[in-house]
Amino acid sequence: MVDQGDAGALHSLLMSRSLTDAELLEASDAAPDYAILPDANVLKIGGQSVIDRGRVAVYPIVEELVKAKGDHQIMIGTGAGTRARHLYALAAELGLPTGALNDIGTAVAGQNAKILGHLLARHGVPVVGGSGFGVIPLYLAECGAVVFPGMPPYDMWQHVPSEGVIPPYRTDAGCWLVAEVYGARSMTFVKDEDGLYTANPKTDPDATLIESITVDELIAMDLPDLVIERPLLQLMRHARHVRTIQVINGLKPELITRALAGEHVGTIISAA
Amino acid sequence: MTDTDPSFASKDVPSTLMRQTLLDRELVRPATDRPVIRLLPWLHVVTIGGRSIMDRGRDAVLPLVDELRAAFGEYRMLIATGPGIRARHVFGVALDLGLPTGVLASLASTEAEQNGHIVAALLAEEGVSYLPHTSVGHQLAVHLSASPAAVSNGFPPYELFEFPPVIGKIPPHRTDTGAFLLADAYGAARAIYVKDVDGVYTCDPATAGDGEAEFIPRVGAAELLAMDLPSLPIDRLVLELMGSAKHQKEIQIVDGLKPGNVTKALRGEHVGTIVYADA
Repeated sequence: MVDQGDAGALHSLLMSRSLTDAELLEASDAAPDYAILPDANVLKIGGQSVIDRGRVAVYPIVEELVKAKGDHQIMIGTGAGTRARHLYALAAELGLPTGALNDIGTAVAGQNAKILGHLLARHGVPVVGGSGFGVIPLYLAECGAVVFPGMPPYDMWQHVPSEGVIPPYRTDAGCWLVAEVYGARSMTFVKDEDGLYTANPKTDPDATLIESITVDELIAMDLPDLVIERPLLQLMRHARHVRTIQVINGLKPELITRALAGEHVGTIISAA
Repeated sequence: MTDTDPSFASKDVPSTLMRQTLLDRELVRPATDRPVIRLLPWLHVVTIGGRSIMDRGRDAVLPLVDELRAAFGEYRMLIATGPGIRARHVFGVALDLGLPTGVLASLASTEAEQNGHIVAALLAEEGVSYLPHTSVGHQLAVHLSASPAAVSNGFPPYELFEFPPVIGKIPPHRTDTGAFLLADAYGAARAIYVKDVDGVYTCDPATAGDGEAEFIPRVGAAELLAMDLPSLPIDRLVLELMGSAKHQKEIQIVDGLKPGNVTKALRGEHVGTIVYADA
């Protein structure tokens, strides 16, 4: 066993062992965790659930974000939505592989990032993506917020689902991974429901709200439908920084500020 | 419908997936269960190990490059390179500083890219160039119509979006996995992994006693995972992903230090260990 900070022992394991070697992995596990942007908060704004609703949902959220960025650093990730669903359906019908579908999510989440970016432009909030991530710290320090497309950039290298072709890691996973890699303070999913329900509340009148739950409990429930991407639950199990997420209703925009203040106003899902 | 109308159905684009969360398997299935086509059925993805080949330098790299060159024209290839020992060094530096897996992934990817530039330079005369991820993902068809091969970074473009691993902080998506996912997405003819061993042994033949390591010529991916061998010449994640692959149901690991092996593997001959999808 290697103690934290024993860089010499870790170095010699890295130089001599396979990267799947158990002792090497344990030693890497013992390495310290440095949070890159510990004051940043990641907010994901849903595509289908929020942006596709247009002005009635988006304007109040933009107003709330502008207020909130005075008190909190926020990284705003965008979802894809109805156009992605049309494209996924079309591409799947034509027999295209998952890798080709990944771009669709990227393109539509990118459009939604542009849309939010233009609405936030007068408040100095820029849109970043790809290599632009390097300037996020400056933007957060200068104007309190940035917008980014939430889709992970996996392109033709996206995982293939066990069934069908829809990319399994989409904008929920992408936004959470951004929060995790930067060691962000919080991760909030802004959707159009009060949180996670036992079934899809839009189609099932018996669906009841779950206020808080662990990832393991949620996986064990094996719900037929979910408010967040299923593979994100597996990723969260191994989180080092962002071990809880909150799903809130963006149609009640004041909840965004309350969630950023650490209040429990939706469903909290925790890694343990 | 007015601007304040809370109903928004009219703002949807009609499709079989409209208004779905995309998480209800029963609802998604009918829209996405078509067979997946092979985009580049003639593609051969040849992965060159970083530690196993590149780090050995001239003695290992030049004969292999000559062998690949001789196969140009007969096989259209994407050559993917691994990062080797420099990735180990940069992992050590970054881990000591407390940096996260996503940062480690982006740092190691740079090293795999450098090895790609080296291989591409050696083959430039034949029209071979190094292609960045965006070109590999979007313009591979035109590049391989214009030249017999292209070289790319074996690491997938996960970088900051790399998964936190189950144990520790080493990025799980590395060269072997990147090449495998790409080969499957393109519906490639073959995926060949060029290493410095014949394939899979029951234990590491480099460190085991005489006759202790037993060679496994052909094995199922799930079966191999279940054997839980102390070391493998291929990343375990490849084996885990083989079960859900649409096309890449078989890979071959060959010893690139033995002349002729790669050519035979390109022809489809069995010269190393073949791992197949058994799940």
